[in-house]
Amino acid sequence: MPGEAKPDFSKWHGMDRNAIKWGPVIDETKCVGCGFCVVQCSERRNVFGYDEQKRKAVVLDPENCMVGCNNCQVACLWDAISFPDASGIRDLAKQLVESGKAKEELEERLKKNPGLKLELPP
Amino acid sequence: MSKTWHGVERASYVWYPKIDYSKCTGCGLCLLTCGNDVFRWSDQKGLPVVANPGSCVMGCTTCAKLCPEDAISFPDDPKHFLKQVIIKEKVFLTVKKELKDRLDKHPDHRVSAEDVEAWKKAEAGERSARRG
Repeated sequence: MPGEAKPDFSKWHGMDRNAIKWGPVIDETKCVGCGFCVVQCSERRNVFGYDEQKRKAVVLDPENCMVGCNNCQVACLWDAISFPDASGIRDLAKQLVESGKAKEELEERLKKNPGLKLELPP
Repeated sequence: MSKTWHGVERASYVWYPKIDYSKCTGCGLCLLTCGNDVFRWSDQKGLPVVANPGSCVMGCTTCAKLCPEDAISFPDDPKHFLKQVIIKEKVFLTVKKELKDRLDKHPDHRVSAEDVEAWKKAEAGERSARRG
């Protein structure tokens, strides 16, 4: 595809993104072409394209889809978007915790950005 | 400038994650996955804190879906919640404009379904070629 360099979403917490089953599927028979999904998806990830002749949204970059996000599905009034069951990604999340990867990333994030720390009143 | 969601004043609606601390084990995945700066971290307690509820994107429940302990909840029935907002606020007028702006800014996203099919076929071909 043409265009400038895009952000790299090829990894999800060290895992290959394209090995993770998570992304929208559009039922073309239900899509009315309102375009909500296109703009509900963040501009950085920009998973959707849009066919102005047919007035249909199309899934253009499914691997840009943030693992766990289904905002587009939630916003679609015509129920034209489906996602895989979330149990698969929750299992992956459990793996991240069990392997210590989540802890490692959290420590790194807090070190890099100490402003994320906030103490609660006792 | 106040935050908006497709033209809707974000602060008019209550949408944010609630943490059940009786379940939370402090793994930090919620903070790590949120792209909107909703969470902060208490070192003292080793727990996440919902510090910026108004930054949470309406309809997003990513943190809750990933939470290994199922410790995060959102308003019941997110789809119904958004539907009420969308209809009440006539959001589609804004969405139409946003769609045009998005496609103008990213012209490679103005596509035909046939193009997409062709790309998929080409990609599948590449993959099988790589596998040998």
